[in-house]
Amino acid sequence: MSINLLHRHVLEDHISGFETDPNPNHLSIIRRAVIFTVLAHAGQEAAVAEALWNAPDVAPRFCSPSEWLAVSRTVGAETVAGMLSEIAGASVVDQSDGRVLMEISGPSVRKILAKCVAIDLHPEVFEEGHSAAILCCHAEVNVARTGADTFEIIVPRSLAGSVFEELMEMGREHALTRGFVD
Amino acid sequence: MTSYRLGSGGAINRGQSLSFTFDGQTYKGFEGDTLASALLANDQMLIARSFKYHRPRGVVTAGSAEPNALMTIGSGARAEPNARATVVELYNGLAAASQNRWPSLKHDFGAVNDLFSPFLGAGFYYKTFMWPGVLWEKLYEPLIRRAAGLGKATMQADPDRYEKSWAHCDLLVIGAGPTGLMAALAAGRAGVRVVLADEGFRLGGSLLSESAAVDGRPAAEFAADIVAELASLPNVTLMPRTTVFGWYDDMVFGAVERVQKHVASPSPDLPMERLWRVVAKQAILATGAEERPLVFGGNDKPGVVTAGAARTYLNRYGVAVGGKVAVFTNGGSGYRTAADLLAQGVDVTAIIDARPQSADPVPESVRVIRNGSVIATKGRHRIEGLIAERSGFEEVIGCDALAMSGGWSPIVHLMCQRGAKPVWSDEKQAFLPPDVGGAFLAAGSAAGHASIGDCLKDGSAKAHAALEALGRLVGALETPEVEGEYDPSFVPLWYVPGARDKAFVDFQNDVHVGDLGLAQREGFRHIEHTKRYTTAGMATDQGKLGNVNAAGIVAGMRGVSPAEIGTTTFRPFYTPVSFGALAGTARAEHAAPVRTSPLHNWARKNGATFVDSGLWYRSAWFPREGEKTWRESVDREVLNVRSNAGLCDVSTLGKIEIFGAGAAEFLDRIYSNGFLKLPVGRARYGLMLREDGIVFDDGTASRLSENHYVMTTTTAYAADVLAHLEFSAQTFWPELDVRFVSSTDQWAQMSLAGPKARIIMSRVVQDDISDAAFPFLAARDVTLRGGLKARLFRISFSGELAYELAVPAGYGEAVADAVMDAGHEEGICAYGVEALNVLRVEKGHVTHSELDGRTTADDVGLGRMMAMQKPDFIGKRLSTRFGLTAADRLQLVGLKPVEADKEIKAGAHLLKDGAKPSLANDQGFVSSACFSPTLGHFIALAMLKSGRERIGERIMVWDGLRGSEVLSEVCPPVFVDPENSKLHL
Repeated sequence: MSINLLHRHVLEDHISGFETDPNPNHLSIIRRAVIFTVLAHAGQEAAVAEALWNAPDVAPRFCSPSEWLAVSRTVGAETVAGMLSEIAGASVVDQSDGRVLMEISGPSVRKILAKCVAIDLHPEVFEEGHSAAILCCHAEVNVARTGADTFEIIVPRSLAGSVFEELMEMGREHALTRGFVD
Repeated sequence: MTSYRLGSGGAINRGQSLSFTFDGQTYKGFEGDTLASALLANDQMLIARSFKYHRPRGVVTAGSAEPNALMTIGSGARAEPNARATVVELYNGLAAASQNRWPSLKHDFGAVNDLFSPFLGAGFYYKTFMWPGVLWEKLYEPLIRRAAGLGKATMQADPDRYEKSWAHCDLLVIGAGPTGLMAALAAGRAGVRVVLADEGFRLGGSLLSESAAVDGRPAAEFAADIVAELASLPNVTLMPRTTVFGWYDDMVFGAVERVQKHVASPSPDLPMERLWRVVAKQAILATGAEERPLVFGGNDKPGVVTAGAARTYLNRYGVAVGGKVAVFTNGGSGYRTAADLLAQGVDVTAIIDARPQSADPVPESVRVIRNGSVIATKGRHRIEGLIAERSGFEEVIGCDALAMSGGWSPIVHLMCQRGAKPVWSDEKQAFLPPDVGGAFLAAGSAAGHASIGDCLKDGSAKAHAALEALGRLVGALETPEVEGEYDPSFVPLWYVPGARDKAFVDFQNDVHVGDLGLAQREGFRHIEHTKRYTTAGMATDQGKLGNVNAAGIVAGMRGVSPAEIGTTTFRPFYTPVSFGALAGTARAEHAAPVRTSPLHNWARKNGATFVDSGLWYRSAWFPREGEKTWRESVDREVLNVRSNAGLCDVSTLGKIEIFGAGAAEFLDRIYSNGFLKLPVGRARYGLMLREDGIVFDDGTASRLSENHYVMTTTTAYAADVLAHLEFSAQTFWPELDVRFVSSTDQWAQMSLAGPKARIIMSRVVQDDISDAAFPFLAARDVTLRGGLKARLFRISFSGELAYELAVPAGYGEAVADAVMDAGHEEGICAYGVEALNVLRVEKGHVTHSELDGRTTADDVGLGRMMAMQKPDFIGKRLSTRFGLTAADRLQLVGLKPVEADKEIKAGAHLLKDGAKPSLANDQGFVSSACFSPTLGHFIALAMLKSGRERIGERIMVWDGLRGSEVLSEVCPPVFVDPENSKLHL
């Protein structure tokens, strides 16, 4: 007996109805992002960080002095797992199902995020490529700047619905739209 | 006509007429008016009744310190009580109502209080209603509350949205008057990030009320030009309608922005108010100064206003506060006001100057009474005249308004909120802001400067200092020229002697000079005691107008300097902040974030009733058609698990991945029982103690490979355990190579329990899970039929043959559906945490009901898990303390009622049969209780003194709260399958 199992995104119940064209301010939910935790063992922190920053197809996100998230939208979990497991001194955990990747962009993005996170997102302070582990709408998330007006937010799955609803509420005055990206 | 709108002038839009109502009567105002200025333009001076004596009261200021003009704005759910009409921006359709009067403002029954006022002095209530004490809450307080009071809060839910936001800047400038505008301009031009916040709806502060010219233009025009330049700078954020109300640690300022308070039909897409937390590297206090009222007999009559307010109504709103205005002053402000009134064609009947002489230019045709004072006022609902006194001679002077000036007090509030006290200055005759360090500087009249020119100069100088601290110094701004300034100096005059009527110090709380004297005589001498005894400086205005006068008067009574009296404590908020703004979006179901399991949808599809468990929503039971009570559902689920199989969502348990060559040693020290020899592919139950030897948490740890473990924790303690591991690894044993991360969210985990669990699971899992291949406590990666990788654990909380299957969260729903399908023929059911609880009580398993932060491993019957032969583990040393090994400690036992139909309830206390309920006779308590459908009667787990020696004893279960006594038999805590035969099927 073989069982056909359907993968379901946690926000599918939150995003229903007709898809509309995205407004300038838009929240994208990346349906199948690959997200791994990378832990550096004692004394290996610098070497692991360097290897991670040089790894192709993944973007590193800072969590703590010996912990990062490696994010990929382009390659599959097995490829990422294979690549990361070759980094000496690192342990890796697949968190792709445990984290939800959102991307928020648009001219009002900083005004919207100012209502969600306490850190200063001014481009001179929080530059492209910077990331921070921080509370966002009461949840522990990772926020990264990926463009002038584009940020990625990685949210724990169990709180993703709550954070998503709050983000949309905070974006209401800026006509924030939302949708899945496959 | 007494007060009226001028034919021209003012920063109002005469082309835009606005209609509003006050106490049901319709009036017209203009765009740019406040409610107060519009009421005055319509000759409405009587606008309130005082708090205690119900005396007629009128507008006394033109700003946020207003003590009198409190009214209820709006109706229904949007009714807001105690709004200050002086800062309420007029809009079309605004509906205002006066407060604390019955049946009407003009004919107020409560005014009889004023007749009894000789008996109602400070402390009256304390002295009169002392006893019998029981009557205080039931009779006196409700009566007093009805007689004295402010507006009533609406009891309906607030229909509006609120939100909170963060702002970050190099320099926060608080106040957009001459000082703040110059400071913001200097910093803005230097390119630093500036936030300029002002409580008013139009930036400019006192410049909007000035008749002087600045930089060759009218002051208001000058202000508008600076605001326009600031608005054009991308590094400057202008925040009108925003009150900075508090200064907190780390240079965080709290502010509230009234986004839509001034809008007739609020947009549903915008918040009504927005709470800001402004993080500033530097800040400048440019809040200006408050004009002091003079304390003379009858000074609370409607029509008595501060001189500055008279000028503001005149110059900014084009409203004359009266047709014949008298001026009473101790400094130049009175002369300046008289000149401005005359310039607009308003009759000034006299200037009564408390000083013997002054160099102030006297306007032509105005009579000046030097060395004079006002000792009484005439009129009832409005001042009709005053009695002036000089050298023993009295004279009645007719007027319909009186502009008073008692000097100026810097608005130091924010700077004094974190412990520093304001500093008295003999030179300025005022309390000045304290030195709180270079990051937060006072400037302009908030720092004691008085003239516009000095304020402009000080604003740019303090911005300069801030820029230097930021390392962004540029050339200084040129200070603009000011033409037409008056000498703003004054001499101190705290109290005008010879008063014929009450001389009020605190208008809002009806505190007069006599009350302050009484407080001193009765021993309430410290200014904080004086405040509480007299209520001076309480309620919505917190003494903004009266407190400095109170300190000066008390100083005079005691013959000391105001420096010795000091001020009362300044606390946030500067002005009242609505609960809506403080709550933001966190209300009703959004009060806390919702945390859902990956099996939430599966549970919902199966009809689950959910229960809050921390932030989590867990499935509690799964009612089926025909089941009338939760117990029916739970009983069915329990019996089905015991006879067939059930599936339960256990995803909320904490999961921590642990890596490293030191992981085995680490776990061995974290848990009280041994972990060094746990083989790969096996799980073990583990008990964690706190450092003090008390049980912290329990769970399992499974070794998935040589240096990789996965630990489970209880749902409630998942975060605490992770923090405990981090702390232990970083501080106790940094030499151990171990790293960990939570994977709670990654896995959907379900428990399949019951005698038919294996046959069902084998239809889902591809691997061999026979008892031989996958025995009790096996833990391995497996592959589901169809190829999905998963983790399988053979662990049991129910006492039945059980597996926990973990799959990536996104597949959780699909896998749970598949398991239910696979078990259909075997009669599988979904079961919730209530059934899980019954199953574990029947089996004598403990949870945090028993591991309640007071119990040791031995107390709960887990003494065998204390591997004392290990060199060390957390809690080992202190677990041998005398108190933790005493023979009479409470120990875990089971209880069953002697009469089988009796119910035992958790929380009940245990007594020896026949003993009276008392603390001394207390033998312990029931920690968990439930109906056992397996046994057909109630059972309980309890903590009983020396319990394990008392098996078979009959004991009274006494529930004083719910009024029941159930005689019960003490028994071992394992009710079902004590031999564990079902686990090893």
